[in-house]
Amino acid sequence: MLWLHLLVNGLVSGCALGMVAVSFSLIFATTKIFHVAHAGVYSMGGYLTWSALRHGAPEPLALLIGIVACGLLGALIQKLLYERLARSGATHLVVLIASLGASAVLQNIIAGVYTSNVLRFALPWADRTVPIGGVLLSMTQIVTVGIGLATYAGVMWFAHRTGLGKRMRAVASNPFLAEITRLNPRDVHVVVVALGSAIVCLPGALVPLDLGLQPFGGVPMLLTATIAMIAGGVGSISGAFVLAVAIAVLQNLSLLVMPGEWSIGVTFFVFVIFMLFRPRGLFAT
Amino acid sequence: MDFFYSYIALAEIYVLLGLSTNLLVGIVGIFSVSQAAIFGVGAYVVAYLLMNTAVPFLPALLAAAALCVALNILVTLPSLRVSGDYFVVTSFGIQLLATAIFTNWTAGTGGAAGLPGVPAPLIFGQELIEPGAFLGLATAGMALGCLGFWLIMRAPFGRLLRAIREDELAVAALGKSVLRAKVSAAALAGAFAGTAGGLYATFLSFIDPSSFDLDASILLLAMVVVGGARTLAGSIIGPFVLLALPQALALIDLPTSVAAAARQLIYGVLLIVFMLFRPQGLLGEKL
Repeated sequence: MLWLHLLVNGLVSGCALGMVAVSFSLIFATTKIFHVAHAGVYSMGGYLTWSALRHGAPEPLALLIGIVACGLLGALIQKLLYERLARSGATHLVVLIASLGASAVLQNIIAGVYTSNVLRFALPWADRTVPIGGVLLSMTQIVTVGIGLATYAGVMWFAHRTGLGKRMRAVASNPFLAEITRLNPRDVHVVVVALGSAIVCLPGALVPLDLGLQPFGGVPMLLTATIAMIAGGVGSISGAFVLAVAIAVLQNLSLLVMPGEWSIGVTFFVFVIFMLFRPRGLFAT
Repeated sequence: MDFFYSYIALAEIYVLLGLSTNLLVGIVGIFSVSQAAIFGVGAYVVAYLLMNTAVPFLPALLAAAALCVALNILVTLPSLRVSGDYFVVTSFGIQLLATAIFTNWTAGTGGAAGLPGVPAPLIFGQELIEPGAFLGLATAGMALGCLGFWLIMRAPFGRLLRAIREDELAVAALGKSVLRAKVSAAALAGAFAGTAGGLYATFLSFIDPSSFDLDASILLLAMVVVGGARTLAGSIIGPFVLLALPQALALIDLPTSVAAAARQLIYGVLLIVFMLFRPQGLLGEKL
């Protein structure tokens, strides 16, 4: 029954990965910026939540503090970095390098303040297990799936049912038209980066419940998420989420035949296959 | 004096490596954070050949360069068919994959513990153990690399590469093969990085995965960006400036764990500040 356990683990970590993929996809589709610093925001979310817990905040409040702080951090990055670069007419390459720099800055602030050792969230309920359909699920896993699916549903609702969401999609599909119809793309960009950053705090805090906090854990996570986004089709929220789950399941099932250190190879293999046969992704719009 | 020679020799090796990044990022305009991985392959191949076989130094260096050429072509090829953002993913992927291989393939690379005791290069019967002796080799390597880079940039091929950066479509419309030019650039970058790797391994006589990880790629990018992209002068000055930085930082008394983070933090800040206020670096052209 090992494969069933791995399948379930894959589905659970897929929900966490899906949140990263969806949040990155929101930002990338709207601003067209390959926001590498998202990896830093992801790690920051986990550490801020951990700190809030350490200072005695109850769990939901700690998570809320993390979410708000990440949202602000995202808005700051957009306002102080990307918007300035855009105003000075920076090329795509320059923005990318700056974003990589921001990612290095965030991760090394964490490494400097909290050291690069693995930190543990010591939450009494996190390891409690519940048997569901023959598989033992930990509370962490149940919470991750619940929040993951809720986030996906929430983002879908936001993008398709709210005025701001429609504005966001309008800016994403035609920035020039959005500008002349006074949709204020620049404000929309700030909101979207803030929203994406707030969302990525959720997996940033949930994944370490199992694995512990590490300052540099965000990069492989973000890489896998971007591969899921590309494989799903850029601009498709459902595509990003579904492919994230699929890749996570594949990664976990690959443990049957090879050790875990090579899971990055599996992910990359998926990317190369898509590059060769379907570079526009499964659900391309 | 040895300390000073070591600094110069190391900086010269990084100049050679920086040329490879400059070629891809500056000249052709392909974002790359995987040059440290290619650098690592060069280092491990030379180390392995010198430690386990009877292959002399220069042929080993040549083998490493050849392998890195092939490897760099192989990793760039799939994603050259599609847009630039896909290349970012490829590049990060290659870097993380390479780190996984360097760390986990213990039989070939010594794993996380690294490979100690790489023999010093033996050239014309001279064993270059002292930093002062090695300096000659490093200088020769750097001079050859710089000469090659300079000649290529003056040649029609160099103009073609720069034209691709400005307007790929126009180049294609003139009947030039964009794909072939990019693959050639990648091959050349591979040769620079592989050679630099071989020199690095024999100079330090010890290599481990931490010299070839994502942080190393970021350092490399910072060298090119601070020195100035697109020009030879920029590639030369960047490594000298950035390698002097940790020495300056050593004057402040920081605990080791914080010091590593502080160094990497400074590289990140440099990337941001230069992109915001001086994208052309110290001696380069505007990116």
